[in-house]
Amino acid sequence: MNQQPKRGDFAKEKGEIVLREHEYDGIQEYDQKLPNWWLFTFYGAIVWFVVLWVLYYQTNLFQDSHELVKEQIAAIQKAKSAELEKTLATLNDAKLVHEWATNPQVVAAGEATFLTNCVPCHGADLSATITVGTIKAPLPGLPLNDHQWKFGGKPMRIFQLINEGSPPESTGNNGAKMQVWGQTLSPKQIAEVVAYIISKIPEDFKDIPASGLTEVP
Amino acid sequence: MTTPITYDDKSVRRFMIASLAWGVVGMLVGILVATQLSWWQMNGNFLAWLTGGWLKSDGISFLTFGRLRPLHTNAVIFAFVGNMMFAGIYYSTQRLCKVRTASDLLSAIHFWGWQIIIVAAAITLPAGFTRGKEYAELIWPINICVALIWVVFAINFFWTLAKRNEPSLYVALWFYIATIVTVAMLYIINHLSLPTSWTHSYPIFGGLQDALVQWWYGHNAVAFFLTTPILGIMYYFLPKAANRPVYSYRLSIIHFWSLVFIYIWAGPHHLLNTDLPYWLQMLGMTFSLMLWAPSWGGMLNGLLTLLRTDPVLQFFAAGVTFYGMSTFEGPLLAIRPVNALSHYTDWTIAHVHVGTLGWNGFMAAGMFYWLAPRLWKTPLWSHSLAIIHFRIAITGMLLYVVALWCAGISQGLMLSQLADGGTTLKYEFIETLDSIRIFFILRSIGGTLYLAGFVLCVINIWKTARAGEAHDETVEVTILESTRKDGMGWGEALLSDPLAHVFLAMAFVILAFFLPPHADKAALLVAALLSYKAYTAFQASNDTWTNWHERLLENYLPFTVLVFVAVAIGGAIQIIPTLIVKREKNIEGRLQEIYTPLELAGRDVYIAEGCYNCHSQMIRTLAPDIMRYGRAGVGDDYSHFGESLFDHPYQWGSKRTGPDLAHEGGTIAKDATTMRVGQRGNDWHCNHFLNPRAPSPNSNMPAFPWLFDKETDVASLPRKIAVQSRLGVPWPALSPDQIADSVESQAQEIARSLVAAKVYLPDKPDLQGDALRNHLAKSQVVAVIAYLQKLGAYRDVSKGGRPEPSILDPDSHRKAATTR
Repeated sequence: MNQQPKRGDFAKEKGEIVLREHEYDGIQEYDQKLPNWWLFTFYGAIVWFVVLWVLYYQTNLFQDSHELVKEQIAAIQKAKSAELEKTLATLNDAKLVHEWATNPQVVAAGEATFLTNCVPCHGADLSATITVGTIKAPLPGLPLNDHQWKFGGKPMRIFQLINEGSPPESTGNNGAKMQVWGQTLSPKQIAEVVAYIISKIPEDFKDIPASGLTEVP
Repeated sequence: MTTPITYDDKSVRRFMIASLAWGVVGMLVGILVATQLSWWQMNGNFLAWLTGGWLKSDGISFLTFGRLRPLHTNAVIFAFVGNMMFAGIYYSTQRLCKVRTASDLLSAIHFWGWQIIIVAAAITLPAGFTRGKEYAELIWPINICVALIWVVFAINFFWTLAKRNEPSLYVALWFYIATIVTVAMLYIINHLSLPTSWTHSYPIFGGLQDALVQWWYGHNAVAFFLTTPILGIMYYFLPKAANRPVYSYRLSIIHFWSLVFIYIWAGPHHLLNTDLPYWLQMLGMTFSLMLWAPSWGGMLNGLLTLLRTDPVLQFFAAGVTFYGMSTFEGPLLAIRPVNALSHYTDWTIAHVHVGTLGWNGFMAAGMFYWLAPRLWKTPLWSHSLAIIHFRIAITGMLLYVVALWCAGISQGLMLSQLADGGTTLKYEFIETLDSIRIFFILRSIGGTLYLAGFVLCVINIWKTARAGEAHDETVEVTILESTRKDGMGWGEALLSDPLAHVFLAMAFVILAFFLPPHADKAALLVAALLSYKAYTAFQASNDTWTNWHERLLENYLPFTVLVFVAVAIGGAIQIIPTLIVKREKNIEGRLQEIYTPLELAGRDVYIAEGCYNCHSQMIRTLAPDIMRYGRAGVGDDYSHFGESLFDHPYQWGSKRTGPDLAHEGGTIAKDATTMRVGQRGNDWHCNHFLNPRAPSPNSNMPAFPWLFDKETDVASLPRKIAVQSRLGVPWPALSPDQIADSVESQAQEIARSLVAAKVYLPDKPDLQGDALRNHLAKSQVVAVIAYLQKLGAYRDVSKGGRPEPSILDPDSHRKAATTR
């Protein structure tokens, strides 16, 4: 700065720079009016607060977050039921065994879902055990490859068990029941998982005739 | 009359050296915990590798993330920045007051007391002694020491002010005053607890109230421990180093008062989209935005004062810029829709590290490089090493922050992404964790670079100190006559026009929050009239108004009282109504089931292991949260606050490195008397604690093998339950024998289910049958499983309809609430 700054207490106009008289341990202070963009930010935020508060508490324009989320979840549930209904209308035992389970792409998709979600309880080899050192330790789920279907072994029943979780009559494994996978997986994904299971143990499903294929679109 | 005065620079040197030393320790622990997120082996297993297999372990309790993360945060906040702040305050206050610190004895007590507290923290936190509240983890005897040492500091500081030879208070001192007063208020209230033993206590607040008090404290610990003292330091050291006048005095005034007033209100932004009453969320969000401009006022005053010529100024310039970035990001994250994405992710961690590494770390380095030549009276050992430090630090910090921005945003987006069809979520939690692993590694590298730079700083300062000699500056000062300071009456300070009108107007605005419809409008009208009156008084007496503030600056006690009023208002408005409202009446239809004694013991283990550092217990009122964590078929299965009503301390958490656990538990299992089973079976949990990667491949959770060896602490339960009863938790009357019996029968039931499920303890292959059952029943793991299976248990007490309009609940007056 070439010219000597003006001395005084406070700047009176925009752009004016005043060097204050007092010094603290050699520290000097200017005074100058504040930039407009700063003032705009400050006042803008205050105005926004007032406007938002008044709009929310005095008008009917906003839903509260609880009502909003309940509506969203209800809409999702409705869409989910519709999707399930649609999927079920195109599925039956024959379709799952003779079309889905024979399609390598479907089986691969089912395997991917199985590996992410089902392995912790049913095991990667469907035996519901895990090898710890030399010991085969049991996992929480039921084995799927023991040819015993405690709650029914028809493909559509398996679909239902996965979709709705352990049936009410189940006492669970020490009380623990399988979760409602329909909550996490779409009907298509569940059908793919069923196809994957069928492809791994085809002998359990060989009695299902292909004639049923014509019963659904 | 003049007299020579020698400043006490010895205390400054001590605090500075302590800050450098603790800084290295705190950052080293930071890097360790960062790597633990990438490699679970860093939770203790790495010792086997380091010692060539001599030390074998699946995990070491005092080296796990849950215990070390609090050590990292406490060390960098209270040890590194704390000591740095004290060094800066002791140096500048003496010079701004032209007087030696009032008492050398108090300075020494302050220094040594603070270091003993830090050592105590460094021992107790890894040992698992914790209060389970973030940045407030230290146990109650240490809390009392902190409060006492803080009082020693305050007495020393205000005594020095009283003895000052400079009539008026410089802006740096305003910020120091705000720091001392506010930290005392925050710290004491958030640490109120009832002890159950010398090492354990329960906070007197529970559930929602505890959450609110915690974040009023947590947010303002950032504000008044990491921000205001450093701003004060900036106002002293920056114009000194730049040798230029401060940019604008009026900005100092406006930004100081708006900052201290507004900051306090912003705490609830840590609880956005939860079940916190909406009016509090609204205040948290809007006040955070209003905070943006005042924060940037500080940045402007720093940045616009600067010329960038040497390393000290480079550090200051970068520090002030990062302060600006961080205080812009903060309000942004406090906007509810943004927060819906960012909260619980690494974006928050990135944000705090812009503040701590960028603002605190850089300001500290700048101050140290400026102080060292003056404290040891010799030029800085190496100018170029300081510049290298700057370059490494800024690279490391940017790498750290950008990596975590990417991690936070991509995980946040993935967690809410819907699968094809739009009715289910696309990714499992573990898949989102997998996708950000690379960013975790980059963040560890960034942090390591930053620490490397800091080590260069330590070397540089050490070499400087060795080259010079400790030197206490002596100056000639004019003794101030006592009539030239502290002559203002209380009436003039607090009740003069237009101040009195401003206070009254504010009171009516605040009333308007709470009053029923129409009365609120009347209050606003009165407030408007009062504001107009204040405005006209202000216009009419422009001169006296500025004179009033100038006079106030020459009177440290009225100034301090006004600062206290400004910081106390926000907290009082937000917290007191929530404390007064009868809590059982206001629980939204869900009342938490009381824990059994075993579940309480398990909960205390959960807290001691620091599980809350990675697992939240709060399903927000957001569709993706409910879809992921809610129970099937329950449409509104977010966490209602009645579900955690009796939780002392609350465990809502603030970060989800693992999934939310709020509704992990379930109902009592078929044919069982006390054993509950939730989303996963007891054996799943058991295997998961032994080796998280067995049931959950790719998990980065540490193993907890010692839970299988340590016995559940049953002896302390009667005392703990008695304390909880006094805090208002409706425990049934239980004798110590009944408690022990209850623990035994529930533990046996769970252990029996584990034995039936053929759980296998790899390091105890001989334990089988009854021996295994009895061993498990005594071990902590069964207590923790009991607790996990209880999470989210509640009694349905909905009466239907909305709550009655009540004076302390602004939400209940809402128009839409009754008409929609």
